[in-house]
Amino acid sequence: MNSRNISPFMLAEEFKAAFMKDFRSYVRQPAWILGDLISTPLWFFFFALGVTIFAPATQTSGYQGFSYFFFGFIFIILFSTTIWGTGQSVKNEQMAGTLEQFFLAPANRLTLILGRWARIFVTDILVIGYTTVLLYLFGGGPLILYQPGMFLFSLSLFEVGSIGFGMFFAGLTMKMKSYNTLSNLVFFGYMILTGALFPVNVIPVPFRYVSLAIPFTYFIDLMRHAALLTPTILPLFVEYLAGILVAAVMLIVGFVTFNWIETDARARGTIASN
Amino acid sequence: MRKVSGIRGTVRALGAIFWKGIKHYTRYPGGFLLYLILPFLFTLLIFGMGQFIGGGNAALNFAARTGTSNILVYEILGSAVWMTSWVVVEDVGVALRDEQMKGTLEQNFLAPVNRFTLLVGISLTDIAITTCIFFIVVGVTLAFTMPGAYLGLLQAFLLLLVGLVPLFGIGFLFAGFVIKFKEPYVFTQVVNLVFGALTGTYYPVAILPYWVRGLSGVLPQTYVIENMRQIVLANQTLVSLYGSIFILLALALAYPTIGYAIFKQLEKKASVTGELSKY
Repeated sequence: MNSRNISPFMLAEEFKAAFMKDFRSYVRQPAWILGDLISTPLWFFFFALGVTIFAPATQTSGYQGFSYFFFGFIFIILFSTTIWGTGQSVKNEQMAGTLEQFFLAPANRLTLILGRWARIFVTDILVIGYTTVLLYLFGGGPLILYQPGMFLFSLSLFEVGSIGFGMFFAGLTMKMKSYNTLSNLVFFGYMILTGALFPVNVIPVPFRYVSLAIPFTYFIDLMRHAALLTPTILPLFVEYLAGILVAAVMLIVGFVTFNWIETDARARGTIASN
Repeated sequence: MRKVSGIRGTVRALGAIFWKGIKHYTRYPGGFLLYLILPFLFTLLIFGMGQFIGGGNAALNFAARTGTSNILVYEILGSAVWMTSWVVVEDVGVALRDEQMKGTLEQNFLAPVNRFTLLVGISLTDIAITTCIFFIVVGVTLAFTMPGAYLGLLQAFLLLLVGLVPLFGIGFLFAGFVIKFKEPYVFTQVVNLVFGALTGTYYPVAILPYWVRGLSGVLPQTYVIENMRQIVLANQTLVSLYGSIFILLALALAYPTIGYAIFKQLEKKASVTGELSKY
């Protein structure tokens, strides 16, 4: 089955089928849609209120400050796709009892996982758009985007890297029973250490080195720079170059690791164990 | 069918349900570990964001708004209480749905134990779990930052126990809603967030708009968090805070009564319409 000839057309068909399957599954559960629409702005308000008590009483929020935090939330939403979308795709099929069908299908499982990623990415963009409008109506101000082209390029780097990381994580979930705990820990670690919600220079020095060793810190830095013209950690050209290289390496490592873990799990017979 | 009755029978049934819950937690220790780590992670996140927005005056601004300069203890107390309500909503509220998903709801409902005993048994597990969370999260924080505050810690724990009773009532209510509306995970996510936002987990409820404060006033965690901060950070005692303790006791009476009554209604309706076996 693995030796079949794979044409780009077939891969596109598989991708489309995987996307539609996941999309249908999503729209069949209106509670999920409702939950996304309610919880996303609620998280923003929750954290915004928590931070308010540290701000000077006379400070006006300003569009720049609002945009800084709101972009932070966008980076968090995007990473949640990596963890709970791509990363848990295998586990979700396992829980639904469809993993065997999923792996027996004469289709490339990478396209199947990417189909799920694409569906969540699309719905994330819709939720981000809705939340932007909602916050604007609540007086949060418009979202600033100074260099849309560079922002999209930096977002692409982020997504390429995050697909690789998601594949790696999907492999890990096959080996772990407490994958949910790991997902949460990685997610919160990302929120705190990558400078998604505050600059890395706020982080105390021993931990700042950890932040600087995480690739996502640079993807976020580049996106924020393109959006708000904030200073970058490294010289801009070096950071873009490093971003491109790291994103490519993450993608390759993710694919290789996933395949390796899957092969190992098949041999050990642990692929369907919960 | 004969139901388990009498004190001895009920205690044995409660013990069995309690141990079942504990076994589940020990079998999946990751979930419990997360409850211990999350309060610190949320606090770090809020603190980091606060440092960024407040700059060099962040601590002063915080003290001016909250009346204390002890940011860590203030935030950890809120976080720990939020986690306890998180545990109750996730466990008591979703318990029956979980049984439904595992295919064991019928066995539970066929057991000669009444529903109230079943729900109280689950609540007992949560008392043990939330006690551990409280002493590990708050106890460790106080041991490092306020080593002499053990009396305050003990009073804060008593307050938590009183606050758990109305919380279980809310859990019963959710258990009924979950049977009716299914999809507990979306429901619990939203509810946990609403609880976090309305009860002053990371800020005094006084900064909320007036109408929102009305909603905060009917949630037991609001009183638990505020009073815990008064006890630990402002050297108040349970006696000096008697006003809000009475409100908490009134809620402890009202919520379980209302929650269980609604649960019974929804469960009865679901068993007639066949909803219990639907996904």
